[in-house]
Amino acid sequence: MTVAAGIGYTLLALGPSLSLFISVIAKKPFLILTVLASTLLWLISLIVLSGVWRAFLPLKSTTWWPYAILIITSVGFQEGLRVLLWRAYKRLEDILDAFADRVSKPRLFLTDQMQIALAGGLGHGVAHAVFFCLSLLTPAFGPATFFIDRCAQIPFFLVSAQIALAFVTIHTFSMVIAFNGYAQGNKVDQYFVPAIHLVAGMVTLVNFASGGCVIGIPILYLMAVLTLIHCGKMVFRRLTENRSRQGNFQ
Amino acid sequence: MESSILESIGTEMIGVMSPVSICMLLVVLLVYTLSSSSSSSSEAAIRTAANLVYQETSTDSPTEKLEGALLNALVFVIFITLITFLLVVLYYYNFTNFLKNYMRFSTFFVLGTMGGSIFLSVIQHFSIPVDSITCFLLLFNFTVVGVLSVFSEGMPIVLRQGYMVCLGVIVATWFTKLPEWTTWVLLVALAIYDLVAVLAPGGPLKLLVELASSRDEELPALVYEARPTVSQNERSGRSGLMLLVGGVSDTRSVELQALSRGSADGSENHRNLEYTAVHVENVEHERDSEVERLPLVGHLFREGFLSSDGSSSEYSTVVDNRENEIVVEEETSPLVDMMELGDEREQGGRRDGRENDIIVDKGIKLGLGDFVFYSVLVGRAAMYDLMTVYACYLAIISGLGCTLILLAVCGRALPALPISITLGILFYFLTRLLMEPFVVGTATNLLMF
Repeated sequence: MTVAAGIGYTLLALGPSLSLFISVIAKKPFLILTVLASTLLWLISLIVLSGVWRAFLPLKSTTWWPYAILIITSVGFQEGLRVLLWRAYKRLEDILDAFADRVSKPRLFLTDQMQIALAGGLGHGVAHAVFFCLSLLTPAFGPATFFIDRCAQIPFFLVSAQIALAFVTIHTFSMVIAFNGYAQGNKVDQYFVPAIHLVAGMVTLVNFASGGCVIGIPILYLMAVLTLIHCGKMVFRRLTENRSRQGNFQ
Repeated sequence: MESSILESIGTEMIGVMSPVSICMLLVVLLVYTLSSSSSSSSEAAIRTAANLVYQETSTDSPTEKLEGALLNALVFVIFITLITFLLVVLYYYNFTNFLKNYMRFSTFFVLGTMGGSIFLSVIQHFSIPVDSITCFLLLFNFTVVGVLSVFSEGMPIVLRQGYMVCLGVIVATWFTKLPEWTTWVLLVALAIYDLVAVLAPGGPLKLLVELASSRDEELPALVYEARPTVSQNERSGRSGLMLLVGGVSDTRSVELQALSRGSADGSENHRNLEYTAVHVENVEHERDSEVERLPLVGHLFREGFLSSDGSSSEYSTVVDNRENEIVVEEETSPLVDMMELGDEREQGGRRDGRENDIIVDKGIKLGLGDFVFYSVLVGRAAMYDLMTVYACYLAIISGLGCTLILLAVCGRALPALPISITLGILFYFLTRLLMEPFVVGTATNLLMF
């Protein structure tokens, strides 16, 4: 029974990413490598951040403002990293295109570019879920559960799995948005991503209030849905543009 | 729409990474289930070659532990070096059969006793109702098939790869029973040993590899081959038929085994010319055993593969095809025939692309030792926390990736342990010391970003 609960929490946090992985990523080895690389990058960013913040830990869990600073710096750092990732991706795209020319295969399609972005985002998201939620789930496989005082209605594991799911969604699709924004020089998309990330991070501060998770989690999911809608619209727009352009060529 | 290049890049890397991942996953699961059950009972100290000198107890001071661990690692590495040199000497004087039989024996021993004991503890832990005779029969069958699959040619490659992973899991699970300090020092020592043994002039592994390649023989050692299985080719579009043929040739009757293997191998050669260099050795090797049985085909194969050795892959394809047709005629299987033709066409377009691919014209082989020690690291990390497991896994896999890229750049045998082990240990301690308090501190306050 408890094992079932543990697996349930895991699937709650990672189920959508798992299906995404199997349906899109797993067929193309290169995308798997992208996911791994991006997961590693996120892990490194987390280690650097924790190295910086290690001196100030443990923070008092009564005051909230040190945590606010922590979130702002972390989000800032990770968004900076995203720009770096974009540069690396640009170079990679050139290499891949050159390679495709050499083997006389078509260059990267628009869908391929988006899939690479998706794989990059998925890596970030999965890393987030794994380190913030899954690694704390070990006790959930045992014969007990755990509640924290501020959110006494729901078990801690369930809450963290829910939050992780929201963040996985945000991370995964904001990478697609960001890469498209950079590629097209679209300022709105470029600023949309850090804004969503920061707001989502700040929303988790609501959990500090007693019983705050009841409000915090819906807002977080609002953010996730917003990201999804924006990403879907943008992808649809670009695909139709692309198709009409191809239609003009022929 | 033509398939994009995303589908063809990195196949080889994934082909190596996925068995390593599976091996690590199994070890972590085993360590998790078994360590939780045996923690209550007094840990029976095992004595192996790895802790001959010093037996770690938790009451010792850190300096004592460190000294003892260093001594243990030193003894173990010296031991391994001696064994490897012995192997080189035996191989140099052509005791190949002895070596192979020794490998078979040790496989039997590992699967039977070490695997058996793990099997028993799993049965105990989950209290599976099995009587001793059934258990013995199962274990014996498992072991015998494993021994047969190690060096004999009639076995499907999937089975062989599966058993390699099994061996890795079993040995690694045993190694995780070593005391903590000894494990860490031992891993570092082995990484350094691997570096020296493969790269330094006169290093035993270097000698062994060079000897094997100069003789055009398979290495008489337990090595995982990432030769793509038939089913792995599914994604490249011509899957359905290929899968069918593969399925047919795997389930043929015993008399036809050698024959159908021949045809399967031939088509495999076709499909992945980047594997030719290594592959030719294998096939050549197999031919020897087949010659008596099939003089005609054997002869043809011989011709075909000798000529295909160099860069004239186009020619080899033709010869290949011809002999495959002969085989096929005997089997009266029109499917195979069709496949060959289709393949030839496909292959012309693919060839030059494949050669420029990340991995230069060699099948990737990974020693079983690498499997074992990656898994030992992850298994040891699993005894601390899940977080360290994930970090170590990522570090090791990325290290493996770096090694594979280096392999493509250098084009020679490389040690697979040093980069991965260094990264793994680094990430383990970084995670344990820096990241864990940070993440636990924020996550238990339901803060995430």
